Amino acid sequence: MEKKNFYLSIGIASAALAILFPYILPKFQLRMVTEIIIMALFAMTWKMLFDEGGMFSFGHALYFGLGAYASALAWLHIRGLSFISGVLLGGLVAGLMGFILGAFLVRMSGTYFALLTLAFNQLVWAVVWKWREVTGGDDGLGKFPKPDLLGISMKDPANFYYLSLCIVGICLFICWHYTKTPLGNILRSIKSNEERAKFIGFNVSASKLILLTMMGFFAGISGALYAQFQEFIATSAIDLGMSTNVLFMAFIGGTGYFWGPLLGSGIFVYLSEYLSSLTDRWELIFGMIFVVIVILAPQGILGIFKKK
Amino acid sequence: MESFLNTFIIQALHGIVYGCLLFLVSAGLTLVFGMMNVLNIAHVSFYMLGAYFSYQMLKIVGNFWIGLVVCPILVGLLGILMERLLLRRVHAAGHVQEFVITFGILFVINELVKWIWGTAPLRVPIPPILSGSVTILGNVYPAYRLFILFFSILILGFLFYVLMKTRLGITVRAAVADRDMVSALGTNTHRVFMLVMGLGAWLAGLAGVIAGPFISTYPGMALEILTDCFIVTVTGGLGSLLGAVVASFLIGQLSSFGILFIPRLAIVFAFLLMAVILIIKPSGLFGEKA
Repeated sequence: MEKKNFYLSIGIASAALAILFPYILPKFQLRMVTEIIIMALFAMTWKMLFDEGGMFSFGHALYFGLGAYASALAWLHIRGLSFISGVLLGGLVAGLMGFILGAFLVRMSGTYFALLTLAFNQLVWAVVWKWREVTGGDDGLGKFPKPDLLGISMKDPANFYYLSLCIVGICLFICWHYTKTPLGNILRSIKSNEERAKFIGFNVSASKLILLTMMGFFAGISGALYAQFQEFIATSAIDLGMSTNVLFMAFIGGTGYFWGPLLGSGIFVYLSEYLSSLTDRWELIFGMIFVVIVILAPQGILGIFKKK
Repeated sequence: MESFLNTFIIQALHGIVYGCLLFLVSAGLTLVFGMMNVLNIAHVSFYMLGAYFSYQMLKIVGNFWIGLVVCPILVGLLGILMERLLLRRVHAAGHVQEFVITFGILFVINELVKWIWGTAPLRVPIPPILSGSVTILGNVYPAYRLFILFFSILILGFLFYVLMKTRLGITVRAAVADRDMVSALGTNTHRVFMLVMGLGAWLAGLAGVIAGPFISTYPGMALEILTDCFIVTVTGGLGSLLGAVVASFLIGQLSSFGILFIPRLAIVFAFLLMAVILIIKPSGLFGEKA
């Protein structure tokens, strides 16, 4: 009981802190916290695929970037499209892509799965890169409107922060709830032994397909938020670098823990901002940090504190 | 018509030579990743190190052939060191951990290379004996590229010999089939892992030395070949040397003719090939288990 109270108080304290952030943090750091929150959702979708579904996605930026581009294009071309509709549209397009590609992906396993996701990612990336008339190619897309929400201006960093917090919070809650549903249990049984789950009579492919579609949807939402966060979208949102970044974020926090992606994206975003402002050789330090983390905390940072 | 045929032959030769280079890098990856299941992103760093070591060796000793012998061995030793000190500890944890740590190592090696040799491309001259050109069906073709072709065939033969005839090769193949059983029979699987890692790094280093005079040596060369050689390893089927040969050849031709006919989409052909092959045959061309 005491332990539960302890967690509850930590939860209330961090919620209060999250609400107070715009008042206590300088503008620059509030921006960083917003980015961390958006990236946390993206990292969570990777973690859910890996930890709940046993799927190692090596091309996850596909859904993130697709959501970002789809929503940015929608805001650009559909006059009067509201903020929430744009975000939802980004999620839907990415979710649809997750569903279509999922039909091919559910048959694969392990390394072959990973490399096929990479192939899909690179194909879509190439389309985005080369289709200059629509996506702007390597010049990227900018100058899309940032609609107000219920009369509240989203151009204010604090308001945008609160909105991101709300949307990401809802998405994370759905992810958490999902693991508690019967479908979540089926996925866990598939992960621990796919053959057995098949013999019991679960529809393995369908369960995986649902997870892929859902996580595509959420990754698309985080991408759409990211587009509005940057007020600009470039091919770096959909390239291989983004696909590896999300893996680093999910790993650093700990793939086996629900709050791992949030912690991981926090550390990752902070470190890359801090180190790149510190020295030109930041990749050297970054690389060393990766090596040290893997050696000292093979299950991620949270893995040090909790023994499974 | 004549000129079209000539272009065709030259382009096919280009493709074969690039395929050979790709094979040399991927062969090591097939051993390490395909057979031993160690996800080693830093493999391409060994390829780059081979090229830079060879450049340095040429500067000091002035002889390409000494570099060809010495540099891959140095790179191979680095590979053994990396396995012994770092990878051995995380292999049990899984692919994510291996991915992150070897990517970290790739970052470190990349930055160190930039630090020591700078970011500008370095030119390694072609050794004098091979600096001439050969006439093939009326086309003039650089002799060094043909050397790459013959050297790759030599290495392929050597690898088949090692895998099929030597004690190490037999142990490796047995360990691929059932690692626990091999370990239980009294083989030191740790040592086998270490040797295979060394062999893989040696091959990558060799490819780097060979590549030096062919493409310029620069810090981006590791990342440039990274996706291609993973595509080869997986498209051919994990752990299949024959698959790596066929896939390298296909990718080489694809990229060569792709640039000729549809330059706009040349970058995606390799991925398209992989996607199509994996969708039709989920375990790659010559892979056994999915």
